[in-house]
Amino acid sequence: MITEAETPDDAPKKALIYIFCGACQAENEMKPKDPIRCRECGYRIMYKKRTKRLVVFNAR
Amino acid sequence: MVEVLRDKEFLVKEYLETRGLYSHHINSFNAFIDSDLKKIIQQNHAVRSDADPNFYLHFKNVTVGHPQVDDGFNVTRNVTPQECRLRDLTYCAPIYVDIEYVKSGMKYLRKGFIIGRLPIMLRSNRCCLYQKSDAELAKMKECIYDSGGYFIVKGTEKVILMQEQPAKNKILVEKDSNGVPTVQVMSSTVDKKSKTNIIFKKNLIYVCHNALEENIPFVIFMKALGVCSDQLILQMVGTEFAIMNQMYPCFLEGSKLNIYTQKQALRFIGDRIKKMGFSSEDYDSRVITEVHDFLSTVILAHIPVTNTNYHMKAIYTSIMVRRLIFSLSNPDLFDSKDYYGNKCLDLPGSFLSLLFDDTFKRFTFELKSVADKNIPKVKATPFDIIKYIRTDTITNALVFAIQTGNWSIKRFRMERHGVTQVLTRLSYLSAIGMMTRVNSQFEKSRKVSGPRSLQPSQFGMLCPSDTPEGEACGLIKNISLLAHVTTESEDDDAVLQLALNLGVEPVGLYSVDDLHEDYMYLIIFNGNIIGSTNKCIDFVDKFRRCRRKGIFSKFISIYISERHKCIYINSGDGRLCRPYLVVENGQPLLTNAHIDDLKRGYCTFQDFIDQSLIEFIDVDEENNCLIAYNEEKIVPETTHMEMAPFSILGICASVIPFPHHNQSPRNTYQCAMGKQAIGTIALNYQHRIDTLQYNLWYTHIPMVHSKAVPMINYDKLPAGQNATIAVMSYSGYDIEDAIILNKASVDRGFGRGGTFRNSKCFLRHYPNQMMDSIQGPIIDNATKKPIYKHRALENDGIAAIGQPVFDKQVTINKATPKTITVEDVGGDRGFKETPLYYKGYDPSYVDKVMITSNSDCFLIKENFRQPRRPEIGDKFSSRHGQKGVVGLIVDQEDMPFNEVGICPDLIMNPHGFPSRMTVGKLIELLAGKAGVLEGKFQDGSAFGGATVTDISNELQKHNYNYLGKDVLYCGIDGRPMEAYIYSGPVFYQRLKHMVADKIHARSRGPRVLLTRQPTEGRSKDGGLRMGEMERDCLIAYGASMLIIERLMLSSDVVEMDVCKLCGLFSYSGWCHMCQKSNSVCRIKMPYACKLLFQELQAMSIVPKISLKKYCD
Amino acid sequence: MDNPIIMNKYSIERTLGNEIKPYNYDEFVKNFKINIISRSDNDLEFDLVGIDVAVANSLRRVIISEVPSMAIEKVHIYQNTSYILDEILAHRLGLIPLKADPRQFKMKEDENSEPNEHDSLVYEMKIKCTKKDLDALAHKQFISFPVYAKHIKWLPLGNQKDIFTEKDVGIISDDILIAKLRPGQEIELKMFAVKGIPKDHAKFQSVCTAWYRMMPNIKLLDEIKGNDAVLLQSCFPKGVIGLKSVKGVLIAFVEDSRKDNSSRNVFRYKQFDNKILLSKIQDHFIFTIESVGAMDPSLIFLEALNILTRKVNSASESALNQTEI
Repeated sequence: MITEAETPDDAPKKALIYIFCGACQAENEMKPKDPIRCRECGYRIMYKKRTKRLVVFNAR
Repeated sequence: MVEVLRDKEFLVKEYLETRGLYSHHINSFNAFIDSDLKKIIQQNHAVRSDADPNFYLHFKNVTVGHPQVDDGFNVTRNVTPQECRLRDLTYCAPIYVDIEYVKSGMKYLRKGFIIGRLPIMLRSNRCCLYQKSDAELAKMKECIYDSGGYFIVKGTEKVILMQEQPAKNKILVEKDSNGVPTVQVMSSTVDKKSKTNIIFKKNLIYVCHNALEENIPFVIFMKALGVCSDQLILQMVGTEFAIMNQMYPCFLEGSKLNIYTQKQALRFIGDRIKKMGFSSEDYDSRVITEVHDFLSTVILAHIPVTNTNYHMKAIYTSIMVRRLIFSLSNPDLFDSKDYYGNKCLDLPGSFLSLLFDDTFKRFTFELKSVADKNIPKVKATPFDIIKYIRTDTITNALVFAIQTGNWSIKRFRMERHGVTQVLTRLSYLSAIGMMTRVNSQFEKSRKVSGPRSLQPSQFGMLCPSDTPEGEACGLIKNISLLAHVTTESEDDDAVLQLALNLGVEPVGLYSVDDLHEDYMYLIIFNGNIIGSTNKCIDFVDKFRRCRRKGIFSKFISIYISERHKCIYINSGDGRLCRPYLVVENGQPLLTNAHIDDLKRGYCTFQDFIDQSLIEFIDVDEENNCLIAYNEEKIVPETTHMEMAPFSILGICASVIPFPHHNQSPRNTYQCAMGKQAIGTIALNYQHRIDTLQYNLWYTHIPMVHSKAVPMINYDKLPAGQNATIAVMSYSGYDIEDAIILNKASVDRGFGRGGTFRNSKCFLRHYPNQMMDSIQGPIIDNATKKPIYKHRALENDGIAAIGQPVFDKQVTINKATPKTITVEDVGGDRGFKETPLYYKGYDPSYVDKVMITSNSDCFLIKENFRQPRRPEIGDKFSSRHGQKGVVGLIVDQEDMPFNEVGICPDLIMNPHGFPSRMTVGKLIELLAGKAGVLEGKFQDGSAFGGATVTDISNELQKHNYNYLGKDVLYCGIDGRPMEAYIYSGPVFYQRLKHMVADKIHARSRGPRVLLTRQPTEGRSKDGGLRMGEMERDCLIAYGASMLIIERLMLSSDVVEMDVCKLCGLFSYSGWCHMCQKSNSVCRIKMPYACKLLFQELQAMSIVPKISLKKYCD
Repeated sequence: MDNPIIMNKYSIERTLGNEIKPYNYDEFVKNFKINIISRSDNDLEFDLVGIDVAVANSLRRVIISEVPSMAIEKVHIYQNTSYILDEILAHRLGLIPLKADPRQFKMKEDENSEPNEHDSLVYEMKIKCTKKDLDALAHKQFISFPVYAKHIKWLPLGNQKDIFTEKDVGIISDDILIAKLRPGQEIELKMFAVKGIPKDHAKFQSVCTAWYRMMPNIKLLDEIKGNDAVLLQSCFPKGVIGLKSVKGVLIAFVEDSRKDNSSRNVFRYKQFDNKILLSKIQDHFIFTIESVGAMDPSLIFLEALNILTRKVNSASESALNQTEI
């Protein structure tokens, strides 16, 4: 998925996408051009993992 | 005294549970797969070639597999419906056939060959959800209360709606536009549809048909059918005086035309059949065969003819004429098209079989033409038909039809649009309400009342309340809880045999005039005359007994029509019927013991049907029954008893408490509004990624529900909350149905909900081995933080889960290669940004991001959610068609409170009651209050439920006022109010119309390119149109400068140079026409006006502007 | 007062005009009484006698809308993979009552300033459900792991550790259900509680509710006996109407009209027409305060009095200032 394309100098770095399987919850990493498929069970639907990034909510 | 059956509604519950709420869709699809599909392939099983008589290909043994998905590289795998929804796939299963074919003179057999894929209806017997337990369904991420009965095509859920159609093969006597009686028969067989009319014209009787250029005199038609003697014709029609009177001029006409023999008659018709261009040689014989063909297969096509023996057709036609003549003197004989026995419902199964039949014929035709073309060619390898079988012909045709809803079947010249609709998932009720919908073929724009009004024969079959308002009113209907739509029966031969054994005599047996004797009844089976009997009652009685014994299908109906002197037996599909308790000798056969057994699970509902304690009665047969409303109403003549009176309502109307106390249109309004109420749409709502989904955070089970509510699972997936309301006026912000909300209630979660919205993006592979990529966020060098646009992104270039995204922020930072074609390999390998933006006034939170791959590209779906707290202008409604917007949100201390410290969540103005007459709502409040005090749900079933006296007593028992009116203290001045206030809990629905979705204003903004006027619509940040009527107001007022400002200055003003000599546009101060500059003036005008002038010039019309000084 | 509020069959008769008497301080002092009827940890019922309805209502309004308390205002969510959506979770947490005494805290001056020990309380919840956790509950047939208020931990700020204990400022009750987790699901968040007034949001209410009712007064205008007496008794809550037996005949008498709750069910029966008079005493209020638990109900009442006095003072001050100009 992430190609080795030329990007401008101030272009940001690209990172792997951490995903988990919609069927067995197994964690996977997404690599460029790989078909999307769970390594454990072969399921095709993956979800992006939630990272511990802060979100602030008003308790209202 | 008749024993009263306890808990009859338990029967309804059991019935709905075992059969499912929407079995008609699923049954008909199952019937299609199990029998129709096989029949269609059997009928068209052979492909032969004109080029080689030895070549053939046979299709045998068709089976349909389980739904699969092709994952590329020829790997197939079983799929679940949920996977199809998420990945935008089609939920379809392969159709396997065994093929026997000839290759280079040898016979080969291929087993299990896939000829195409068939979209599978959810919960049908091919679906992977079929007969699965709740736990298994949950594992497949499927809602256990989901109806099934729809298809998934490219990720969207599509329903094939039931269509109402005039019944086929029935003789209908009607008045034409001039009030003259006519008889009409719509014939329909598997491969022919035709319409035959018999009309009066100048007191003569004619036969008309589309294939005839001219009407044929009835007498001549009969002669062509081989009834040449005038006496015989008269005997067939009848020898009553009235008939002789009418027939006399017809015979005269026959003799005037000099037609006496069958051959003469055939030639007469032959001259009048459309499109016959024969050469003059052997003209005669070809005309005769053509007419024979016409008579046997086209006119009255449903009556089978063997070997040009038209006897049955002659009798059928003469019966038509007989009814026509009698209708002159007896208006009772007119039939009504709107009578529901004269209608049938087309179900998904029959739609699919029509479509499949057509596509399969095309498929075999394509194969034949391939064979014709390729066999004569000499090639190195022998011709192998297998290689030419394309599986996508059938797949694409089926998928396309279901996806677009366009059903075009060339053979029947059928071209229908909107057969399928997207399943609306606004709420659970809207989804299941859609499965019971019946669409009518009538034109919506026509202002006819007949087909729209409620027909008495619809009682119990169609919901009297659930129909839209406006143009589709009465044309779109919903079937009732207990109504069942029949599917084609397999017992036709058995029924025919049985009828003969029970003493039906074939019509040819006696002399024909015997037919019309008073004691003689014709027996008509599916529109065909099969004979007659003189022991009518006896025959019908025995027939019914055989049905109750289970000799043939329970759904075959029989009824006597005294009017027609006919006994009709029907076994066809698409008839509406409904179960009733059988009553014999003034006693229902079903007893309390049976119900107890059912409750204990010793027997099932099906057992009662098998034992004929409960019987299905269709619309026609109802005419022969005396159906008691309850045990009290049973008299000795009673034949059946109602199971539960509330079952005459449909699904949406079943949710209304005490509907029998409401003014009828209010129930209709609620039926429409219940579908807009937000709630929990399905148990799997968090796993769904829909374009738009609403949900309510804290849903309640209604305090007052009806017996039908648990049956349709509305208590498990409700859409609303029990609000404590006070019926009083408050503050003046509650006029015109506005409601007042308590701020503290809103703070604590009343009416809170949210929306889910999705956005989609594909990452494609390109021919030059390049591919779309996702790039990380751009970091601002100064702050070392991502720029505003990219603030929601994580390092992987996709928005972080849980993060809020604001207007114009990027959620997927996609980039597309600058070059994508094959020729450009090694060209510019750079990327250009093609990001996915979030658009909206209010921010949303990223709920989830799904990544999957389709056959050729990656698919990323994002789901955004937005919390929605109730605000002023949001729409709420109770379950009685009483909708209103929030007019004011009041602090708790200003709200009134009662003696025990309760203050209402919601205040409703009492002016909503007198004109609406929603007494049901008053009772709901009272019953709800008693229920809350008692700690149990109250019953508000239609035609039953708790009585006001009981509720009053219960209230008194708990020391509340028996009328439900409390002393309320004013929250503002603290004194008790002068009036006692009617207050208590009422179930309120929050409707999907919210201010946040509609708020719109604009000062400056985008303009349309062509006219330079502001764009239109909220989605395009458009302006608010000042239309013609608003303009009229300003003109009437004389506000001319305001008109100039609104219509020109604030819109599309442009400064143009105009030459005052020639009146044409000039440019840059120079008139090209006059070659002058001193005649040019600069004026302001609307750009649209300038555009019009130039467009007129382009079509050689020269508009000229004459200029004058403003002051002159 | 001599002008009671009379409850008729269809409406209440308020004798307008007469209820406002010229104010007389001595008379007020003489007549004014507070009788505490019942009190428990969280509930307080008392009679306010000899006071104008406006004052009683002002007290009620202040209790409901202006007595401050502590409640969770901001929720910093680091991880939440449970089925409860973030904003619902935050909303639920906001509504959880805290034990902290609001008088020991200051109002936050700037909404966006850093929380400090004087104006904020910080809590934390970190919980992850594993299969083991769930198996431990399996015998109770739980299919999900319940997250209760007891899983919330207080994080002392600055010197709060020395002043308070978890018992002082924690959650009111340990078993408030917050969410349910399936194995693998995780919630990690920090909560910031501040002092606020209920006018801003209902979560700052220190009472469940506070209200009054006017003292009922029931008069029998005629003797009611026999079956009618029994019927009359059933028209009122228990203890309002008593029955005494005089020479074998049951005669109804008013036992305790205080227990009446204005249900007016006597009007249902024709035989009681004009035989009974239902009224309310205008200056006798039966006041009930149900505290959430952070503060003693009597303290809430005092706090309300303070606020009301402050308001009156500031009003009179500004009135005085006006006249000076």
